[in-house]
Amino acid sequence: MRTRLMLNCHEATFLMAKKEEGKLRLIDRLKLTFHTSMCRFCRLFQRQARQISAESRQILSDQMLSPAFKDRMEQLINDNYQG
Amino acid sequence: MVAEDIVQDTFLSALKGLAAFKGEASEKNWLFAILRNKIADHYRGLRTEILPLENEGPEGPDGRFGEDGMWRKNRRPKPWAEPDNPMEHKEMQRMIDWCKEHLKALPKMVFILKYLEEKDSEEICKVLGIKPTNYWVLIHRARLQIRECLEKHWLKK
Ligand SMILES: [Zn+2]
Repeated sequence: MRTRLMLNCHEATFLMAKKEEGKLRLIDRLKLTFHTSMCRFCRLFQRQARQISAESRQILSDQMLSPAFKDRMEQLINDNYQG
Repeated sequence: MVAEDIVQDTFLSALKGLAAFKGEASEKNWLFAILRNKIADHYRGLRTEILPLENEGPEGPDGRFGEDGMWRKNRRPKPWAEPDNPMEHKEMQRMIDWCKEHLKALPKMVFILKYLEEKDSEEICKVLGIKPTNYWVLIHRARLQIRECLEKHWLKK
């Protein structure tokens, strides 16, 4: 993975998650760009994974709970949970 | 397995009192946030028990990819219809929410913390008590599985 210029699809999809967090070294970014420029399946994977990440951010924002409800639930669970 | 026991244990306890909260659309998610904390607490004390991961990730076998690491023919991503109005976005979010429930306990935690709660990898490693190498394997697996689930259940292009 370190020495070869060509990534395979498994490596490419793995590196995409790191890239998303800005955790990819320049050489790996270049390898990834090179791979996705030639592989339409990984290109599609990247597009769909980005879409999933963008949509996921909206999931919790629509589900705000009242503090009172949270307190009740927390109390309830703490009372019942034998950790 | 252990995590699933905690989930079940906590849920059963909580359910006893849940009748009072019927109708709160988001109670499930709140419950889940608490469960996650319980599980994180548990894992913090059990660092070594959760790491049978060495054979997975880019270093090891994954059924989606062949010997050469390329997508197997029948596992290649297929395009889906992209949402283009608020209702379709909502629907896709609902579907992702549903798909994440089918992940195993640990990838599910990682997925929720990363994509729903928008934590970064360092924070997630800290809260779950896992090493970065395991984190990247878990998030990779979660992304592959969620995408696959969505492809299966979302509208085809
Ligand atoms: Zn590829």
